[in-house]
Amino acid sequence: MALFKTEKKPPRAGIAGKWDVVIGEDMCKACGFCLNVCPVPVFEYRTVPNKLGWFPMYVKHEEHCIGCMLCYQICPDFCIDVAAK
Amino acid sequence: MNKLAAKYLRPSQIPTKACHGCGIGMIENWLLQAIDELGLKQEDVIFGTGIGCVGRQTFATWGGDNFGATHGRALAVATGLKLAQPDKKYLIVVGDGDAASIGTSHLIHAARRNLGVTVICEDNMGYESTGGQFSPTTPAGYVTNSSPYGMVEPGFDPCDVVKAAGATFVAETTATQWHQTVKIVKKALQNDGFSFVHVRFPCNENFGAYALGTRDTLKNLEWIYEHTQGRKADGSETDFTWETGIKHDASNSRPEFSRLLRDMNARVKADMEAKRRP
Amino acid sequence: MITVKAGGLVAPWIEWEKRCTDGRRLLEAGTYALTEGAIAAGCRVFAGYPITPATDIAEYMSKRLPQVGGYYVQCEDELAGMHACAGASLGGLKAMTATSGPGYTLMHDAYGWSITNEIPLVVVDAMRVGPISGITGAPGQGEFYIARYASHGGNFETIVVSPSSVQEAFWLTIDAFNLSERFRTPVTILTDQVISDMWEDLFIPADYDGLDFVRPRKHNLMMPFYPVGDASIDVPPNVIGHGTGVCVSAYTHTEEGYDIEEMEAQWAQTYRLVNKIRHHKDELARYETFGLDDAEVVAVAYGANARTVKTGVLEARRRGVKAGFVRLVTLWPFLDELFERDCRFVVCELNYDGQLVREVQRAAPHKKDVHFMGKSAELHTVSEVAAGLDGVARSNRLPELPYIWTEVR
Repeated sequence: MALFKTEKKPPRAGIAGKWDVVIGEDMCKACGFCLNVCPVPVFEYRTVPNKLGWFPMYVKHEEHCIGCMLCYQICPDFCIDVAAK
Repeated sequence: MNKLAAKYLRPSQIPTKACHGCGIGMIENWLLQAIDELGLKQEDVIFGTGIGCVGRQTFATWGGDNFGATHGRALAVATGLKLAQPDKKYLIVVGDGDAASIGTSHLIHAARRNLGVTVICEDNMGYESTGGQFSPTTPAGYVTNSSPYGMVEPGFDPCDVVKAAGATFVAETTATQWHQTVKIVKKALQNDGFSFVHVRFPCNENFGAYALGTRDTLKNLEWIYEHTQGRKADGSETDFTWETGIKHDASNSRPEFSRLLRDMNARVKADMEAKRRP
Repeated sequence: MITVKAGGLVAPWIEWEKRCTDGRRLLEAGTYALTEGAIAAGCRVFAGYPITPATDIAEYMSKRLPQVGGYYVQCEDELAGMHACAGASLGGLKAMTATSGPGYTLMHDAYGWSITNEIPLVVVDAMRVGPISGITGAPGQGEFYIARYASHGGNFETIVVSPSSVQEAFWLTIDAFNLSERFRTPVTILTDQVISDMWEDLFIPADYDGLDFVRPRKHNLMMPFYPVGDASIDVPPNVIGHGTGVCVSAYTHTEEGYDIEEMEAQWAQTYRLVNKIRHHKDELARYETFGLDDAEVVAVAYGANARTVKTGVLEARRRGVKAGFVRLVTLWPFLDELFERDCRFVVCELNYDGQLVREVQRAAPHKKDVHFMGKSAELHTVSEVAAGLDGVARSNRLPELPYIWTEVR
């Protein structure tokens, strides 16, 4: 069992789509933890750097979020908030 | 910024000076969850740190009153502060250098006195802000900038030390155990006495680079995860495993230090008044 | 700049003594006077580590503090002792620690932290002869410079005072607390083994609560927490635990207390730490003089040996030497103005390496007129001082005396 899984699960209907995912992109240091800990494809790197000089994460597919809160727990820079819609 | 950070932290100090992939922010986020779940307010908690990565990155992030002591002396300062402000919760967030090396004497004696503070020892297994030298918690054999042929000194478990010294709550977790850490920190804060929580977290720039041979943030956090579980991703056993969880829980089993002194003062005052009466 | 006043003692407690009529006369030790002075000044925390000859202060404190609702903490070392005092002071209680040379050097970590964070504190250093442990029961005056440069890194001024009698130790301790509150800085009381252990007549006021000259602790509850770039005094000290959001750290700081790595911030902080003391030197001058009007040769001393030196000056005057006397109570900031006069100086101090004499040489107009009478582990005798003053008055040379060193390089 690895912490970070290489394969993402396919988006699931039902629980998905009920969550607001917010990323403070100007505070993101692009460690990649959220992208890799997330079991479904939600996050993606931006191709434009933020003011800290990192290519920050952004929420590409909020509709896939299943509200597991792993990204919220693992973010080291207080960037991510997940809340029920 | 997430809601808890907005509630408790100081916006001008966020983002912190931490390197990317550093675990200090993660652990601070979990501390905020514990504080929030206990219903504590900003002014109820005094946040103390030391020097080094943990001191520098967490100092002044807390929105309430902060202090950053000289290297290793956060607990010595807290000893005096607790006498003056006994009703506050003290969160002393220090690194492995502060707690397990330069300030160990203060750690031992704070535990012996059962000083009412919660020490969060955030351990990145070396002196990383000075460029990655070994510390008393560096695992044996690992290469650092001051142990280029491998760490030859025996390691040191600060949990055993504070337990032997009389701490009333001792626990250990790692940077991949969020729920467990939040629960443990909550229990630690509820102990009116000396609580010690040892949290290991990854350093990307130094420990990762020299001891583990990579600056890949994912690999370094994965290494922490494997040594927490005792198994690698392929199922094989790791070279060692950290024993995590609550190691000693005697919460509220003996009086807190400042309480002892205040009780003594009340006794002395009563005796003086009894003598004064004819 | 200070204006040198006419003969006698210049110190605030001359007024205080007149105002305190109700009290007790005791035969007590210097350590007792230092303890009672601290209690009278409102000290409520003592944290330290026992060390001869300051141990008695710790013992007296452990008895007295619980009686007045204070706290005595016997720490694991002097590092913890002074840090705990700084912590207690940050929490709003007046605090003091006491030590001797070997412990004093350990405290420099906390001393620098208290200076940069402007934490009021009083440190008693009962000097003994060194280096290191030396002789525990013999007086020395070896911490004159260490007390000035009580932390690494420079960019600060310190306040150091020294009593020369048991009674003065009492008043001076109250004064030291007042100065530390006004200047928001640690103050060192540089006493020595003789003053600490000596028993002498001591007057103590009956009611400590009624002492209107004791400065109560006030709290700074607003920004700026650190008025960097500003040399003003009487700014109330910061307090932790009142929800002001104050930040206290070892780093160079901004007005809010945030750590910062910029030259401008460093300059602004240094301006405050240095000039809050330099610009208010007139508030800090405490000294005793006599016979300066017609003096051809002036004896200079502080602390315990100022007592025998003073008698030596009187003896020299009896022999017809036009001798004067300067006793420094405030050692730092150094009172240069006292030495800006055209006469010869004989500096008597309890060390062979020469410390105070170097400052007098710097302040006096002619270096060749400043002479050094160093003695180690024992006070100067009256006849030694009288002979020295006589020799310097006649030929601007010190006579050869056993146990006295005269060379300063």
